[in-house]
Amino acid sequence: MMVPVRCFTCGNVVGQHWEEFKERAREGEEDPAEVLDELGVERACCRRMLVSHKDLVDIVSPYQ
Amino acid sequence: MSEEYDVTFIDRDETSARFLVRGVTPAFANGIRRAMLADVPTLSIDTVRVIENSSVMFDEQIALRLGLIPLTTPDDYRPDDTVTLAIDVEGPDTAYSGDLVSSDEQVQPAEADVPIIDLKEGQRLELEADAELGYGKDHAKHQGGVAVGYRHLQRVAVVGEKSEFEDEEPRILRGVIEDDGELVDTEAFEHDLTNRYPGKELEVTDVPNAFVFDVETDGSMPIDDLVLKAAESLSTRADELEDAVQL
Ligand SMILES: [Zn+2]
Repeated sequence: MMVPVRCFTCGNVVGQHWEEFKERAREGEEDPAEVLDELGVERACCRRMLVSHKDLVDIVSPYQ
Repeated sequence: MSEEYDVTFIDRDETSARFLVRGVTPAFANGIRRAMLADVPTLSIDTVRVIENSSVMFDEQIALRLGLIPLTTPDDYRPDDTVTLAIDVEGPDTAYSGDLVSSDEQVQPAEADVPIIDLKEGQRLELEADAELGYGKDHAKHQGGVAVGYRHLQRVAVVGEKSEFEDEEPRILRGVIEDDGELVDTEAFEHDLTNRYPGKELEVTDVPNAFVFDVETDGSMPIDDLVLKAAESLSTRADELEDAVQL
């Protein structure tokens, strides 16, 4: 629903990078790998947290 | 131990470091690693009193997210000490970790930009939370160290030339190597020794009792504090054991 606060595997805090990642790599045209490198998200376990995330708040909110 | 104990820093900043420790046994190196994960206490939100939560997430989900946010942990906290934090955000807006208001100036969210919950028109999140000093062995949210690990220091020696028709195969090493007494990050030659020594016959050996540690913190304390507190906890427990078995 919301981006996980931490990486499930290593416990690194990754949530703070989501909005920038979304803006640049999802809505923008930049290469996700380069964006993650610039954000300092190094490990594969942390990178997949952002790469595989989907915001669901907008989808579920009408059914409150 | 006959070898001299020595610590050399390779990289170091506020939240991550890489350092070489010489003259310790593998058991001690692992003891330090485990102490950094499990025995250095950090503050983390543990109890939540919800006043209003009309967001799309359940109270429990919000409480979990709040618990995972690292809080800066000053030195003078003792186990079971608590700090109260409060948050009040009204939609349409997003509640961030930085919206938490702490009762102690020194205890603040280490990351201010972690989204907690996206609030729509008419939704509201208002709650009070108690942060507790706890240990990583009890809950992962109290782990100050993140991805703490170590590996043997490896020594590289050139033992000869490769014959003219021998295939050059990649020789991948990761971490730090000792080459002619000098410490070299393997990134310098893209982790492939054949980039550094093309056409040479090489011998790679583990240096006994030398370990390269990779340590990161979640932001709850600086890296120096984490390592020192881990070492201190190890020594306190060793003293306790000594007292306990004395006749
Ligand atoms: Zn990770």
